Parts: sequence; structure tokens; C-alpha cells
Amino acid sequence: MSDLGVLVYPLCTAALAVVVLLLDVLRAPSAAGSATHGRRLGWFVAAALAGLFAATFFYAPSGVAAHGVYEAGAWSLALQRLFFAAGALGALGALDDVADRTPHRAGEYWMLFVSSLTGMVLLPGARDLVLLVVAFELMGVPLYVMAAFAKTDAAAGEPRGQASEAGLKFYLVGATSTAITLFGLALLTGMAGTTRLDALAAAPMTPLSAAGMLMVLGGMGYKLGVAPFHMWVPDTYQGAATPFVAFLSVAPKAAGVAALTQLFLFGLGPARAQWSGPLAMLALLSMVVGNVLALPQTDLRRLLGYSGIAQMGYLLVGLGTGEAFGAGTVLFFLTAYVFTNLGAFLVLHVAAKAGGGHGFDALAGLSKRSPALAGALLAFLLSLAGIPFAVGFWAKLYVFLAAWRAGNVALVAAGITVAVLGLFYYLRMLHAAYMVDGDLPRPKPGLAAGLAIAVCVVAVLGLGIWPEPLTASALRAAGSLLAQR
Amino acid sequence: MNGHLLSLIVAAPAVGAVLVMLLPEGSRLGIRLVALVSSLISLAGSIVAIAGYDRAAGGLQRVEDYAMVPSMGVRLRFALDGWSGPLLLLTGVILFAGVLATWTLAKRDKEYYALLLLLVAGVLGVFVVQDLLLFFLFYEVAVLPMYLLIGIWGASHAVPADGPFKRAWTAFSVGSKQYAAMKLTLMLLIGSAAILVAIFALYTASGSRTFDLGELAQTAYPRRLQVTLFPLVWLGFGTLAGVFPFHTWSPDGHASAPTATSMIHAGVLMKLGAFGVMRVGMVILPEGAHAWLPVVGAVAAINVLYGAFCAMSQKDLKYIIAYSSVSHMGVVMLGAATLTPEGWNGAVFQMVAHGVMTGLFFALVGLVYERAHTRWIPKMGGFATVMPGVAAFFTLACLSSLGLPGTAGFVSEFLVFLGAWKSGHPGWAIPGVLGAFVTAVYVLKGTRAIFWGPGPSEEFHELSDAKRTEWVAPVVLGVCLVVLGLWPRIVLDSIEGTSAAHLQRLVPSQVVTASVEAAR
Repeated sequence: MSDLGVLVYPLCTAALAVVVLLLDVLRAPSAAGSATHGRRLGWFVAAALAGLFAATFFYAPSGVAAHGVYEAGAWSLALQRLFFAAGALGALGALDDVADRTPHRAGEYWMLFVSSLTGMVLLPGARDLVLLVVAFELMGVPLYVMAAFAKTDAAAGEPRGQASEAGLKFYLVGATSTAITLFGLALLTGMAGTTRLDALAAAPMTPLSAAGMLMVLGGMGYKLGVAPFHMWVPDTYQGAATPFVAFLSVAPKAAGVAALTQLFLFGLGPARAQWSGPLAMLALLSMVVGNVLALPQTDLRRLLGYSGIAQMGYLLVGLGTGEAFGAGTVLFFLTAYVFTNLGAFLVLHVAAKAGGGHGFDALAGLSKRSPALAGALLAFLLSLAGIPFAVGFWAKLYVFLAAWRAGNVALVAAGITVAVLGLFYYLRMLHAAYMVDGDLPRPKPGLAAGLAIAVCVVAVLGLGIWPEPLTASALRAAGSLLAQR
Repeated sequence: MNGHLLSLIVAAPAVGAVLVMLLPEGSRLGIRLVALVSSLISLAGSIVAIAGYDRAAGGLQRVEDYAMVPSMGVRLRFALDGWSGPLLLLTGVILFAGVLATWTLAKRDKEYYALLLLLVAGVLGVFVVQDLLLFFLFYEVAVLPMYLLIGIWGASHAVPADGPFKRAWTAFSVGSKQYAAMKLTLMLLIGSAAILVAIFALYTASGSRTFDLGELAQTAYPRRLQVTLFPLVWLGFGTLAGVFPFHTWSPDGHASAPTATSMIHAGVLMKLGAFGVMRVGMVILPEGAHAWLPVVGAVAAINVLYGAFCAMSQKDLKYIIAYSSVSHMGVVMLGAATLTPEGWNGAVFQMVAHGVMTGLFFALVGLVYERAHTRWIPKMGGFATVMPGVAAFFTLACLSSLGLPGTAGFVSEFLVFLGAWKSGHPGWAIPGVLGAFVTAVYVLKGTRAIFWGPGPSEEFHELSDAKRTEWVAPVVLGVCLVVLGLWPRIVLDSIEGTSAAHLQRLVPSQVVTASVEAAR
């Protein structure tokens, strides 16, 4: 297979970014600054990404490109499929908001969005540290801009500085963590004398490379927003536009976990003894900090931010097993998390638009004002809480099962215990939606966001009732990555 | 159809729940008819299933096997055994009666019936599923809707927050209204967490990559593991069965739940806990069960007595019934702890008998409350003159509760105490019998105070007896109670075969003998 064939999905995504830019530049002069134009672009991006998502089921590239720097296989395909789905849903969820809030700059937003997605799509195939870093930054840099995107166009009643604060905090933390990661990678590369991941596995471990490894873990920890590197998460989630946060809270996390898996399980697998301890600490801290600090939150975006930190903790529990089964369960978890969290944030956005801000009040009486939206929220929160017949149940079950099998009994017991604690704040949200009366107007999701929420609900419940297809494909994908080691 | 009978029984309420949600708002009759029809399908199905169960052959029958998550070794396997038949029937009867008992519900009836049906689908699933993981899944489906059922439709402010939960409440400003609902949910979920840990350990240690209950029961787990895991399973499931001291969610939950929810909750839901302890804990972890037996039996004896004494000091009608449930579930656990055929038959029979009885109690309490708008016993008195029918059925339930021969309660208590006497711990029979005595005191006292004493006072002169559909629940449940008392064989026969099969493994040395004769 030619390089082009192997790289088809990253190339298509990159081409889409260019097309979006051209469409925006070549628009009719009369369309400048009109919300309709922005909306059309959003629909175009969503449709194109949905098309690419569908294509992954019919065309599966395999083989290496660029002298083994990039490799396509079941692993990269599974993740690319996930990114396309997250991208399409994220675009659907955000397109009304972007078109209405920033009609003059909608084109830029979508160009940045697709660029970031290009980085993500490239990432799971990277088998070389240089490509890994480049893909990671290609994903990250546009996100900084998008986080601050609404800074001059704050909606009425919102403090204007919030988006800038969100963007700046996100950028500073991101840049610092990139620097730390790069320093660590430099140490690793210097000791091993190679940037290739498979060669890294063969190189002997020295104290210096172990130090580098820990720095990389810390740097990635910042990106993933795991405790104790989580401080930016709630602030950014609160400050940036909610539909963007819906995307930010899932897709980059999935990319980060993919990078961690490739780097640590594939590249540094033989050195598991050195990194499994610190990773377990991160997992435990995240589960505890996320669940405990979510309890007193009054802003639902911050609450979901902390809940996300806890979810990342569960994920690291699975990753810590260091084996293909664990990586498979992590992939399943990620897929579940993408649909669940994206949907939850979108419901929150729609509910907040009807008035009432982003506190518990925004949900008051939601079950009467919009039973469908309340039902969707119910599905998402049950999934986040890990309740049966929502996909989140299987996700949590799998990662804990994998960790138990790998012998991390104490970590699993701790995780299950704090997960019960976590139920409390999910129930509080449901309590607001179902048991408190409210007289706010009926929230209207609009066609695009409504469609995105509906798709998420179908995925959450469908995969919850019949998880086998996703389970099998996730295990196969992880197996294909780690079998070659 | 015959090959999928068990799926049909489990799926009917679940499909009913979805249909109810799809019906337009305000179609009162439609909602109730869907609920009624789906409950009737389950009920009829379980009658067919239990009638077609070959008691001579025993074992698992009507096996249905669907690959659910084969890559994880999870198979959706339904099968009927001697225990599940009667319990399915019980659930069907209670649901049917429960749907009719809340016929007049006005507030958000659509969601109410949907949740109720969903819950029952979970209960039915637990009784027939043969896969440990799906057992747990159905168990959760049965437990979780309780949060909304109590939180939304429960009696507000009936339960004042107290204890450590009170502090949590003030800290997070949830308000006292949903206190009972959240206490119940959180306590049961902590139990679930323990169960989940045990499931992981069982799955990993078996090494066979399967969750099949039968296969897990064949695995010889190391003794140390069994001794470690048994308390997790016992207390995990036991929380739902009201095992002391983890029963505190139950009276609060019952007291604030609406009628049909109380019926389902006390009538079948608490049985899931005991069923889980026996089916998962004792059968899969025999050595663990043996090691912990003295504790399990002693705690069960405490349950019987403590629950009875608590019930005696209550003034709220629902609290009396709720604490009597705690006491009666103690009888189930006591029977289980004897590890004798009599005790086990008695335990399972008590699940059925108590389910019917307590369902009848809560249905009648609901009727009384709807009319008198109070559950405060000192305010009542002489209600028999205005509602003779309700009084008669209430008295019948009381007689079964205290174990009068000829009612279902007698059969089970007799078997359990006989089992206790025959087991290695004859001392357990003493608190058991004492508990039955205290029960007689408080139920008779209660009935007298409500129905037979002087009165009724001026404000209650206008009360009426049950009307039309309201009769269905008391009559159906009352008839079941008497039939089970006079003719226990109809369910005891099938229970016996399965108990014997399980005990064969659990107590290999013991000669398993028939005990039905003794009951008659």
C-alpha cells in the first residue's frame, strides 16, 4: 500500500481544513458576517466528518508510511473513528453558538477546529516521538485559540474577561507542560539514541531516561487534566463557551490517552516497573480529588470538570495494567466517555441558554419543561455514574476488571468506593432536573445540537444494551498495537 | 413462544415501560392499561412457567442462551429452577396488584408507571438469569429506580433527616425532602460496590473466563479467598435484605414511598437481597459460608427480635409494617443460615409468603391513608365500622404475620425454626420463636388500635370501604395468602428440589430429606 493510501484519513482531514478556509475566503461578499454563512460552514464540517466516520467502516488502511514513522492498523483506525465521531458531534453541538456569537469569525473557528482534529487523527498512527509531538501540538495549539474565541463577544450577562482567562490559563499550562514533555523526551531520546518508539522499547533504562519518563508522564498529566495537574480544568471549562468545552472535554483527552498508550505501553512497555507506580498514584489522586472536589461545586461546568478528572482517573487505572487487555478496556472507556460527556455538556449548554445560568437552577424543573432533554441528561449522568444499561457501566466495569486481573486490587477497591461517592453529585443534578420545580422557559436545542444530543443518547444506551461490537473491536485494536511489541 | 417464555416474562414490563413513555401526556387510561397488560403478561407467563416446571427432573429448565458480550465471557442465559418459579409468580402477582393499587395516582403518572415497570423487569431478570454479571446488572436496574420513585412520589417531610446523613444534607443543601430516597440509594450502592469487588475476585480467581453461575459454583476456590469474599457478598446483598445494622434505609424508605412502590419494595425487592446471599454467597462460596455461619445466624436472630421490638414501639402505621419487614426478613436469613433443607425451604417459602403478606399490608395501608390522610395510629380507632372489608383483610395479613396455622406465615416460620433446631445451632430457634411472639403482640395491638377499638372519632365518620378496582389487590393477595397456607405444596415441591441440589454441594455429608410432610 502506498504512503498516500496509509495516510488517507489524516490527509483527508487536513484537506478538509484547507477547504473550510477556502470556503470562508471565497464566500460571497454579501455573506460576510452573516450567521447563515457560519451555520452553513458548520453543517459542512459536521457532514464531512460524519462522512469520514462512515468511511472508516468501509476502508481500513494498514501498513507503514514515511519509513515506519506512521503506521495504520486496527488501533489507529479505532481511534480515528472515535475522533471523527467526536468531531462531527462537536461541530453539530457548537455550530449555532459559533454562528450567533461570532458571525464574523465562524470560518476561522471551523478551520481551527478541523486543524486540531487533523492533529488528533494523525496521532494514533505515530510510531516516532517527533511525529507524536508534532501531532500533539497540532491538536493543542488551535484549542488555545478556540478557548479564548468568545472573548470579545460575551453574551449578555456574562463577564467579558472569562473567555480570555480560560484561554490564557489553558495556554500557559499547555505550553509549560509541552516544555516539560519535550525535556523528558529529549532525555529519553538522548539515552536511547533513537526517536523510534519500537527502538525505544529495546534500549536499556538508565536513571536519566527514567527521569525523562517521569517528566513525560507529568507533562501528559497536565494535558489530560489528571490530579495533581488538574487546576486548569475547572477554570477553563467554566470560562470557555460551553459547546466548545463539550468537545474540549472529550476529544483531546482521547488523543492524550492514545499518546500515553503508544508511548508507555508500546514504547516503554518493558520499563513498566518504573512507570506503573507513579501512574497508579496519578490514577488514585485523580479519582479521589475529582470525586471529592466535585461534591461542593455549584457551577455545573466546574462540576463536570471535576467529574472529568475522576473519569480520567478510572481510565489510568486501566492503562496501568500495561497489557493489551487493559489498553482495550481503556479504548472502550474512551469511546463511552466521548459520547457521554459530550452529550452531558451539550444538554447543559441548551438548558443554560434558556436562562438560569450554569448552576443547579438552570436544571430546575427540566423534566417538565422538556422531558426529552431531561431524559437525555438522565442517560448521560447514569452513564457517567456507571449505572447498568448505560455504556458507562461497562466502561467502568471493564477497566476495573482489567486492573483486578493485573493484580491492582487495592486501586480497584479504592476506585469503586469513590465511584459510589461520585454518584452523589450526579444524583444532585438529577434531583434538580426531576424533583425541583422551575418556571424557566422551555429550552430549545435547535436542530443541530438536538441531533448531536440524540446521537449521543442512542450511542450511550445502544452500546449499554449491546456492548459486544465495541468491546470486540476495542480489544482487537489494542491487541493489534501491542502484539507487535 | 415456548422457547422464549422467560425472555417474554422479563421483557414484558421493560417493553411496557418504553411504551408508557411513548404514550402522549395525559392519556391516563392508556398508561394504566399498558402497565396492566404488561404485568398480566408477566404474571400469566410465570404461571405457565411454574406449571410446566418438571419437578421430578428438577435442575435448570427452559434454558435460553444468548451471546451478549462473548469477548468478555458474558452470556445472557435465562433458566428456570425450583426457586425462581415461585419468586417469578410472586413478582407477577405483586406487580399486578400494585398497578391496580395506585390506579388513582394523579402526579406524573406516566413516569411513575414507566419506572415501576422498569424496576420489576430488573427483579424478574435477577430471578432467572444464570450469569453473575448480568445478575448484578438486573439487580442494579431493580434498585436504582427506587431513588426517583421515592424522591418524586414519596410523602414529603414524612422522614426527618437524622444521623450522619443529616450533616451531609446541610453541607450540600439538598433539603430534607429527598432524604429517604438518597439514603436508600447510597446505602444500597455501597453494598453494590462490595458485590462488584466480589464479582471481580470470583471471575479472576476462577480462571475460566466465564460469569456463569453454574460453572462458578463448580469452581473450588481457595478457602482463604472464600472466607474473605463471603462477608462482601453477604453484606452487599444483605443491605437490601435489611440485615442488621444495615437495615436503617428500609423503614425510612418504606415510610416515604407511595403505595405500589412500598408493595414492590418490601414485597419483592428485599427478597432480591436474600436471594443474592443464598444464590451467590452460599452456593458459590460454601466454605466461606460455613466459616461465617455463626455470625450470619446470630445477626439474623438479632434482626428477628430487634425488628419486632422496633415495630412494637412505632406509632406510624407504615413504620410498623416496615420494621415488621426487617423482622421477617430476619426469618429468611435465619433459615438460610441453618444450611438445612428445612431451613432453606422455609427461607424461600418465607420470601414468597412475606412478599404476599407485606404487599397486602402496604396495599391496605395505602387505602387507609388515602381516606384518613393520616398514618398516626393514636388518632385512629374503630375503623372496622366504616371500612369492614379493609379491616378483615388487614386482620388476615396480621394473622399470617404472627404465623397462625392455616396462613402462609405459619408454614415458613415452622420450617425455619425446625431447620434451626436441626442445625448445629439449635439456640437460634429461641430468639426466632421469641420474635414470633413479639410479632403477635404488636400486630394484634396495632390492629386493635386501628380497626377494632372504640371510635371512629368525629372526623373519620365519612370514611368509606374499598371500591371497585381497589378490591382487586386485597382480594388477590389475601387469597394467595390463604392458599399458600393451606396448600404449601404448590410451591414447596419445586423449592425443595432446588434447595436439595444446592445443599448437596454445600453440605455433602448431610442426607437431604424431604420436609414437606413435616409442614403438613
